[in-house]
Amino acid sequence: MTGTIYKSQIQKVFNQNEAYLSLIIVAYSILVTSLNPSFLSFENLLDLGKSSASMGIMAIGVFVVLLSGGIDMSFTAIAISGQYIAANVLIASGVDNIYFAFLISCLVGLSLGAVNGLIISYFKIPTFIATLGTLNVFHGILLTVVGTKAVNSAQLPDCFKKFGATNVFTVIKPEGGSYGLSIFTVIFIAVALLTWFILTYTQLGRGIYAIGGDMEAANRAGLNVFSIQFFIYCYVGILAGIAGVLHVSLIRYSNPTYLVGTELSVIAPVVLGGTRITGGSGTVIGTILGVAMITLLNKSLILIGLSSFWQEFFTGVIVAISVSLSSYQIRKNMMI
Amino acid sequence: MFNQYVKHSRTTILFFMMLGAFIIMSLFLPGKFLTLSNFQSIASQIPEFGLLAIAIMLAMLTGGIDLSIISTANLAGVGAALILTKYSLPQLGAYEESYIIFLAIVSAIGISLLCGLINGLLIAYIKVPAILATLGTMSIFSGIAIVITKGYGIQGFSEKFLYIGSGTILAIPMPMIIFIVFILLMSLILNRTSYGFNLYMLGSNPVASRFSGINNRGILVRTYILSGLCSGLASIIMISRVNSIRPGYGSAYLLQAILVCVLGGVDPSGGYGNISGLVMGIIVLQILQSGFNILSFSPFFKNVVWGLMLILVMILNFYSSRYTQKIRKKLKVD
Repeated sequence: MTGTIYKSQIQKVFNQNEAYLSLIIVAYSILVTSLNPSFLSFENLLDLGKSSASMGIMAIGVFVVLLSGGIDMSFTAIAISGQYIAANVLIASGVDNIYFAFLISCLVGLSLGAVNGLIISYFKIPTFIATLGTLNVFHGILLTVVGTKAVNSAQLPDCFKKFGATNVFTVIKPEGGSYGLSIFTVIFIAVALLTWFILTYTQLGRGIYAIGGDMEAANRAGLNVFSIQFFIYCYVGILAGIAGVLHVSLIRYSNPTYLVGTELSVIAPVVLGGTRITGGSGTVIGTILGVAMITLLNKSLILIGLSSFWQEFFTGVIVAISVSLSSYQIRKNMMI
Repeated sequence: MFNQYVKHSRTTILFFMMLGAFIIMSLFLPGKFLTLSNFQSIASQIPEFGLLAIAIMLAMLTGGIDLSIISTANLAGVGAALILTKYSLPQLGAYEESYIIFLAIVSAIGISLLCGLINGLLIAYIKVPAILATLGTMSIFSGIAIVITKGYGIQGFSEKFLYIGSGTILAIPMPMIIFIVFILLMSLILNRTSYGFNLYMLGSNPVASRFSGINNRGILVRTYILSGLCSGLASIIMISRVNSIRPGYGSAYLLQAILVCVLGGVDPSGGYGNISGLVMGIIVLQILQSGFNILSFSPFFKNVVWGLMLILVMILNFYSSRYTQKIRKKLKVD
């Protein structure tokens, strides 16, 4: 009797995707470090945290959508719209303030997300088709109405560059130069914590899990499916807006054709983190681990001797394997 | 009886849309739209795009979707192009040249069938949701194409091969003839075989079809293989029409192919849709496309129009299904 309980507890820990994923991350880091000792330095880790923040924030948004049983293809278009419009407004108005940039980008994100939310929750259009449509509409409008010319580093307002170089704490290296914990990472962690809080402790969050599990059941249980779905897509819009500003601050360059087309590289960490596309199952921690794994893989491909041509192939393989594993687990559980 | 009425009204609406688009384009673009060369260019673009749309439609009939069509076509095209360029030497005789072209076509179709099989196995046996399975394989297939070609294009095929894409028989472009033969074959398969019947049954209610003794898995695997075959054929026409292949070529077709399916009355949740509706949808889209080209719209603006159309059609479907439900309720009460 005690034996079976003990066994089930072990299974409980190790059935969780997160445990596997953590083990894989550790093993892979050791492998890469043994090939290239400079990989696992503190400096490099902080740098990885900085460069993955923008992707991570979008991944959190996608995670919430997948949790509700939908999918969003348009978040990259929203992020680039927010970023490019914010950069242009700042240049045109002469206001050099990063909060103003965030405000504009998030407003753009919120309104575009609201369009998605309205179409999906009111007209009940399949989420993939709706967001594929809006992806093209948003991006097309941005390129036709706002412009196609990239904002280069010289034109970009200083506040973006200053924000991109802001560290929460800085370490001076003995041989000169410095590194530190970027504010990007802090924003990413804050967004993750906020999302975790919403999902775990608010009625809204439980509603998101509920409509992901079974929309009809959630509706009959008296949940307002319309407003929950509307909230989800607005939330994704705002997160995309934040990610857009982080992205431009990191690369110091705003090209309206960037980001769009990289949807899969953001969806990949989310499904890798154990979120099921059929909805109702997944955790914020899993998503963060997924982001860590994908970032690690992308940054280390060249270190382990493969050209960057392999990146797309590996992203696809990771998505295929992780969705296969989670689908297989669902089936196994159903059979028992 | 009632369902029959709904189905027919849908086809009628599409027919009038097609006619309307045609008349508007002829009236507003006098002397530019109604020309033989314009119709020939429309006719040469329909097949590759139409084949991709059929590929998506097949997946949609089962209630799934196939996002990997473009990358399947790319990979198959790269395979064919490698054989064509590697073995085509100037001193080759006519017989050897035909043999190499045959080999290239067979390998392109083989690759596309294999891609379809992988999708089918993932979806039918491991039960991965079709969106995610094909999103993953999309990246895998185009990733392989990129690794093989290192991102560069392959170009310069022999004259004989180019005949498939740009030759004409009695002023009808060769791709059009292939396409017409293929859609006749497809409608035969969908409407007159037990496979077709089972496919529609599976799409409208998978549980019911399973309990009535249909091998759901077999049907799914065959459907995705067939969908791969369509992409393979499209790739052969595509590479011989433009005389080159580059990974990522034709990525704009995905949105348009989904749009055409929805426009042609295919239900994305499965079970509904037929070839005749799809073909009318393709013609409407191509008429608009050629009009936009004459007006020289930018590709971004075209995407706005396609995206808006996709959403509008879905919204119209929402209202029409609500309307038919209302009528159905009324009929029941009476």
